[in-house]
Amino acid sequence: MLKIQDLGYWYQDEAHPLFQGINLTFESGKSYAILGHSGTGKTTFLSLIAGLDKPKAGEILLGDHALKQIGLTNYRRHDVAIVFQAYNLFTYMSPMNNLLTAMAITEAEHAGDRAYAKQILNDLGIGDNLVDRNVQQLSGGQQQRVAIARTMCCDAQVIVADEPTGNLDEDNTKAVIAQFQRIAHEQNKCVIIVTHEPDVAAQCDHQYRLENKQFTKLT
Amino acid sequence: MNFFKRAWLNIWVKKGRSLLLILVSSAILMFVLAGLLIRSAAVKATETAKNEAGATMTLSANRQAAFKKMRQNSSRSSSKTSRPKLTLTPVKLSDATKIAKLSNIKTSNVTSSTSANAKSYDTVSTTSGMGGNGGGPTGMKSSASSGDTQIDGVTATSLTTTFSEGQSKITKGRGITANDKNTNNVVIEKELASQNNLTVGDTMTLKKTSGNKATVTIKVVGIYTASSTSSASAGPMSTDPANTIYASYTLANTIKGSKYAGTADSVTFNVTNPAKVSTTKKAGNQLISSQYSLSTDDASYQSVKASMANVAGFANKIVWLVAIAGTVILALIVILMIRERRFEIGVLLSLGEARWKIVAQFFTEMLMVIVVAIAIAGAGGKFVGNQLGSQLVSQSTTTQTTTNATSDQPGGQPGGTKGSGPGNRQAASTKAKDLNLEIAVSAVDLAELGGFGLAITFLSIMIAAGGIIRLEPKKVLIS
Repeated sequence: MLKIQDLGYWYQDEAHPLFQGINLTFESGKSYAILGHSGTGKTTFLSLIAGLDKPKAGEILLGDHALKQIGLTNYRRHDVAIVFQAYNLFTYMSPMNNLLTAMAITEAEHAGDRAYAKQILNDLGIGDNLVDRNVQQLSGGQQQRVAIARTMCCDAQVIVADEPTGNLDEDNTKAVIAQFQRIAHEQNKCVIIVTHEPDVAAQCDHQYRLENKQFTKLT
Repeated sequence: MNFFKRAWLNIWVKKGRSLLLILVSSAILMFVLAGLLIRSAAVKATETAKNEAGATMTLSANRQAAFKKMRQNSSRSSSKTSRPKLTLTPVKLSDATKIAKLSNIKTSNVTSSTSANAKSYDTVSTTSGMGGNGGGPTGMKSSASSGDTQIDGVTATSLTTTFSEGQSKITKGRGITANDKNTNNVVIEKELASQNNLTVGDTMTLKKTSGNKATVTIKVVGIYTASSTSSASAGPMSTDPANTIYASYTLANTIKGSKYAGTADSVTFNVTNPAKVSTTKKAGNQLISSQYSLSTDDASYQSVKASMANVAGFANKIVWLVAIAGTVILALIVILMIRERRFEIGVLLSLGEARWKIVAQFFTEMLMVIVVAIAIAGAGGKFVGNQLGSQLVSQSTTTQTTTNATSDQPGGQPGGTKGSGPGNRQAASTKAKDLNLEIAVSAVDLAELGGFGLAITFLSIMIAAGGIIRLEPKKVLIS
């Protein structure tokens, strides 16, 4: 599904890369965890596979097409969905409008379908009494679930999450990871989670550790 | 077109911020509208001035030509005992009629002045008077002996400056009109009437000062009051202003003598379009001989025009300065707004939203604000325009009056008729002072304001859009 070929990235100069010569494959219907200490470059790696930045070396392929061929904006619109640690919801909207907006922008199959959006929110524990409330009135866990719902309502095949449980308590963390697992297994999507928490990573199908500029497969 | 919905949601949910934006935009647009209103009112006022302030053209004897002729006669004459005489040719009414037929001539007023001696009544004597009656309002009188009663023959009193500018007013009966031609109807001053117990309908007699010195009976058809300013321009050798009698020019000519029939001291023409007064003068000059001269006076019009040009110019500056300042202010606000909402922009970009649609969202938000602001400015702009306009006009006309006062030269065409003499300069200044801008908000003004509002919004968003174009979602969202 998503192939990483000889991927390299550096900030200052090529002599000091963050990582280099990375070759990985992420498949549909599976969840992946990328572990690593702070500063190892795991978030930078996520920004590359999310289409938020361009690699300095190598290529990322979606199926047979390189992202630079697809175009990053196009790729972000149709093929990838991102969950951020800080949720990054539209604060002036309700959970419902957050989903409807995402569906409209990504030109999702169910764009404009309130019932579909409501079903997804309900499935993630956002009850009818919350769907039209301003997102700022929701708890952190609820907001993160709305952020996950936003990725689910779009038709993206790749879902990347940057420390999605960083601001959540234990119960919410479990619930959110379980939700990601369901997305991967039931909706046949490729879920890639960047985390520094081994407990979270342990729940994913595969684990990679980014260390010394290289990825090591743990499971 | 999801950005419309996002724009609306943002405006609706963030009411406080939207209200603040509306207030700032309203203030900017209110001043833009005030400037626009003053500018259009100034243009209208200049147009009105063409009709109301008016301009005049006076046909009279050519004094310069007369002096030249006198000098020529003097050099030819061998006799040193006989002094050469200045002979001014009276204006022929047939010539005046030709000029009156020109397309830009609205009305004409024939003036013929003379003096006579009181017979059946006593004149008003002035204690500080110099006595005698040496000069009249026209140069024509130099050929006649002077009397104690001044006879101002006119076509109609309403056409004279003293009456049209309110320096003299009819208090009883009526003024002289064109219908009084070839009659002995007169209008006398209130003091003269009171002193002699005369009222409308009474008759009085006076005696010619030249020729057979015959008695003429005149009939009072109106009584007027002369303000003190009337005497100011009359000169030190004149009789008391109360002794001035207004009559038809035909009566004045009769008193002057039979050779004056069909003539006038001067004829003043009111022109329809003051802007074309010089063209009309040119056309008029072609109809008369060199014995006559045509002088123009468009001081009122020029004064109003200059004042309005000042006001319009200043209003124009207001419009552009406020528009530029408004654009800068709004651009700064939008830049701050974009900085504040960079996470939202980042999320939109991470969802694959096109950057132009994000710019369009901000533009739509500002457009909604501007539409409300235009409505508020439309309601309040008239008030601001009135306040600002009256202040501007007052300053402008004061400057203009000062300019007129310093540029006026003495020795203008004598006579009390409109369009001649220093008294008329005063009238021009008075008119300029009385000038008021009629500030009214029209659909055209609102459309123009809408155009400015749209341009200000567009420019401010374009200036601020750089922030959106350059924003890298990775830097905002992933830290």
